Parts: sequence; structure tokens; C-alpha cells
Amino acid sequence: MSPERRAWGSLESDVMTVLWAAAGPLSPAQVQQALGRDLAYNTVQTILTRLQEKGLVRRRVSLAGGRGYEYFPAEDQASAAARRMRAVLDGPGDRHAVLRQFTAGLEPADAELLRALLRDADPA
Amino acid sequence: MSWLVYVPVLLPALLWPLARVATRAGRPERAARALAAGALVTAVSGAVCLVLVAATLADDLPAVERYARLSVTQGQPLPEPVPDPIAFVAAAVLVWIAARIAVRVRRRRAVAGELHAAGRPEGGLVVADWDSPRAVAVPPGRGRRGHVLVTSGLLRLLDSDERAAVLAHERAHLERRHHRTDALAALATAVNPLLRPVESAVGLLVERSADEDAARSVADRRLVAQTIAKVALAAHGPATSLGFDGSSTVRRVEALVRPARLRRGGPTVSGSAAVSMLSLLVAAAAVVEFVELLRAWLPAV
Repeated sequence: MSPERRAWGSLESDVMTVLWAAAGPLSPAQVQQALGRDLAYNTVQTILTRLQEKGLVRRRVSLAGGRGYEYFPAEDQASAAARRMRAVLDGPGDRHAVLRQFTAGLEPADAELLRALLRDADPA
Repeated sequence: MSWLVYVPVLLPALLWPLARVATRAGRPERAARALAAGALVTAVSGAVCLVLVAATLADDLPAVERYARLSVTQGQPLPEPVPDPIAFVAAAVLVWIAARIAVRVRRRRAVAGELHAAGRPEGGLVVADWDSPRAVAVPPGRGRRGHVLVTSGLLRLLDSDERAAVLAHERAHLERRHHRTDALAALATAVNPLLRPVESAVGLLVERSADEDAARSVADRRLVAQTIAKVALAAHGPATSLGFDGSSTVRRVEALVRPARLRRGGPTVSGSAAVSMLSLLVAAAAVVEFVELLRAWLPAV
């Protein structure tokens, strides 16, 4: 992995995606498990604390009865981000045309075509 | 001046068949760059020719007109420049092009600024709390690095392997600086609208290039194809489902699951270089004609 790639995809972003994808708050151990990598528990704990200090993550005392904390994503910054994003992507004119979105929507016929393609793909 | 000067304005049409076959190129990154470069060269050649045509309006300057009349009475008429109405049209088109470029540059800056304002990236990522499954590569700008902007809806829709595929795709856009390739193609289209299909092909090719990078990163072409399909099928909303986007999603999935059907070599690079060369040659010939015209008329000034 090039240093640049490592910088783009740091542990912080991986932890954030795990927390956002989860159905509820996660303990550091659960985050560690969801990351599915060879990461020390302390490293995960450090990242969670740093994200919390930056206001991106909140924590609560574990309901499971332990003495630890459970972490969940903070919504205020993410809501502000969503407002800006919507303003651009749903906004008037062709501003969204400037952007590289992962995918845009589909025509109904194309949806059927996609399903067919995935069904009978060439063997790799 | 002869008809040569009008040719470069129409030459971008020669890139159309190349744009069509390029979307199946086995090496999409190379094809995208070759097409974007060809688009820019043909657009600039055409613009230079428009400048030459518009510049012949100078024969309407009073001093120049007196000299022209004098030359006719002396039995040695000057070589014919471009008819005035055509020169006027060329000048008007140049003004229109300049306005189009200004609008597009401003729009690009505004969108990038708005998305940078959306949040301070942590590890190159900003999460927006929005159900709609979307991911965007926010290009660098105003002294800030580029980053990936994803919605919570996307993260919840996908499993961890699929999330990795999306992030790898968006990071590939940033690492390969696809916003520049895009911007060049868009600039070329602003100069010459005939290049619109080429710009679309470049857009599809940079997506395919990022797909290939993502497939390498997660070591699974089918996973990337599935992820694209999953997000596309979940992202309802007619606002963004313009015809080309829809079919471009299908073509990306097709390229991922049926790599055997891609062209290995492909004429895109050599073809684009050939069209660029032709365009430059004709424009150069027009410049030579213009200089000769200028020599004949120069004593008037």
C-alpha cells in the first residue's frame, strides 16, 4: 500500500464507517471485531477517544452492565454535512453534474438489465 | 481566406466514433486521458480559427478601407478576407464561449466550496446523515485536500466488504485526480459543444477506471459490480436518473462482470492523437493563410 493510500484510508475513517453502519452503540471490543483487522484494542480505544474529542462520536455508559463505554456517531455535524450535500445534489440546475457520484439512479429497464447481468456473468 | 479556417471547428466530430468504442477500452484510465487531451486540442484549434476569422473585422477600420479602395483603383485588388457577416458571427461565438467557460468555472468552484464546507474530514472521510445512499469524491481546492463524502444511508445499506469497495472507488478518483480529467473535458465542451459525447465518454471512462482500481483493492470484480448495482437500485429518485447515467451504470457493471469482452489495445490513444494532429495541422495552415493576408494588407495600417 502506498503511503498516500494509507493517508486517504486511515483508521479513523474505518471506525466512523463501522459506527455509522451499526444498528446501535458499540463497545470498543465490538468496533475492534467489526473492523476485522489485526488491530490492538488500545488502538481502537485511542481512535474512539480522539473522534469523541473532535465531536464526531459520542459515548454512553455501557448498558450491558460493564464499566466501559459504548460509542455512537454524533448527529449534529453529520446533519450539517447532509444539509450542504443535499443543497448541492438536490439543488437546482446542473450543479450535481459537476460531481462524480458513486452511481446515480436507474431507468426501470436498466434495473432489469443490471439484474440479468449479475445473474449470468462470465465466469471469472 | 479559404475554407480551411472553418474545418477545425467541425473536426471534433471525428472523435465521436472513438468516444463510442473507448467506453469498452481495456485500459479506461489511458483512454480517458487520451480522449480528454484530444478534446482539448481540437477545441483549442477550433477556437484559434474563430479568432482568425473574427480578426478579419479589422478590414472595416477606416484607414484600412481607404487603402483597400485605393488598391482596387490601381488594378491590384487585395486578397479577399472573410465576408463580414461570418466574421461577426465568429466574434459573437467567441464572446459566448468565454461566458460559458466563466459560468462553468464558477459553478465548479461553488460546488467544491460547498462540499468542503460540509465538514472537516477525519481520515479523508466525511459522513453526512442522510438516508439516500450516495458517495462523492470531493476534489482538493482552496488549500484543502480532497476527501470522500458518504451518506449514512450508504453505510447502512452495504456490508463491510461493499463499503470498502465504495471507498476504494472514491479514493481512486482522488488519487488519479479525475476531477482534472473531467474539468479538461468539460472545458473543451464549453468551447465546442460538438464535444459533448466525448465529455460523456470521458465521464464513463473515469468511473470505469475507479471501478478497476476498486476491484484490484478488494481483489473481487464481482463484489464491485454487485455494490454498484446495489447502490444504483437503492438510489431511487427521478431527479438524478438522467438517461446517460442509467446506461453508464449498466456499462460499468458489464465491464466488471464480463472483462473478456473488453478491447485489449483499442484505437483510442492513437486515434485521438491522429485527430489532434490533423486539427493542429489544419489550424496551422489557417494561421499561415492569415499571416499572408496580413502581409498584403499591412501597409494600410
